[in-house]
Amino acid sequence: MDALHEGGGVSQTFDLVMLALLIAMALAVARSKDLVAAAIIFSGYSLVMCLLWQHRGAPDVAMAEAAIGAGVTTILVLVAIGRTRRKEK
Amino acid sequence: MRKPLVALTIAAAAVPMLFGVASLPRPGDDAAPAHAHATALYIEGGARATGADNLVTGVLLNYRALDTFGEVMVIFAALAAVMAVLTPAAPGSGDGPGAGGPAGAQVSPVVAYVVRLTAPFIALFGAFVIFKGHVSPGGGFQGGVVLGALLMLLSVVMGRGPRTPLIPAAAARWLQAAAPMTFAAVALLGLGLTGSLLGFPADPGMAWARELMIIALELGIAIGVAAAILGVFLGMRGD
Repeated sequence: MDALHEGGGVSQTFDLVMLALLIAMALAVARSKDLVAAAIIFSGYSLVMCLLWQHRGAPDVAMAEAAIGAGVTTILVLVAIGRTRRKEK
Repeated sequence: MRKPLVALTIAAAAVPMLFGVASLPRPGDDAAPAHAHATALYIEGGARATGADNLVTGVLLNYRALDTFGEVMVIFAALAAVMAVLTPAAPGSGDGPGAGGPAGAQVSPVVAYVVRLTAPFIALFGAFVIFKGHVSPGGGFQGGVVLGALLMLLSVVMGRGPRTPLIPAAAARWLQAAAPMTFAAVALLGLGLTGSLLGFPADPGMAWARELMIIALELGIAIGVAAAILGVFLGMRGD
């Protein structure tokens, strides 16, 4: 048990659930043929990542993750898809 | 032939990385190398010495200001690269392929109304994050991204093309360079005050000067980041 997790099992369970979610979302992004769907799932990945940063006691990083990862990156990816093709070959 | 090769490459990359992760110190371990040297000094005197109550900002903009200067230059260089590659040679040479993308699509009146309704609140939140960044979590990078996202939203909803940009082209060039220019100005100010680039006056009576320098850096970073993100977005959209 490290200092952050002295509170007991709930905190660690939160971490484990979030990490499992991250892996599932990463696989979904890699497997999705619809690039718009992949972009939206990737935005959700950033949101989960943001919760994890906050939970780890890094609110500065959490804010940057929410704004850049979940917000701006998704929009830029969507613009890039709009200028190319929506479906992966 | 290809699939086993891919699997082998991934395994060859993953195994050393996992070994590296396994040998990392545990989070919060006070014997970790990262906590062994200057950290105690930062935590003890950081709030007084840096002009920022938020230690993260203190490290980012005072102790490690030169690294942040480099970071700001990276963002600026990325913007310059995007503009060099994607900006059309002749300005206003038609709407081009950008008109077909989601950015150029017709915006529903509901979306346009909601964006107009929430825009002032988003702007206020961005400003709050920027100006409170030296006393609470947040700062120039985070607040600048919030402002940049707001500008992106507005430029989608208001449907302005290359001929009537949200920010006039001449002003945009200066705003996009705001972060490196502010850093250079504060660095020279530090040179004048203390004799070293980006030096902050150490005198306890100069706390106001340290705080002002931090706020100037936060503001410069925020304006530069917001303008850079908008520039990347408009460049990619084909404006």
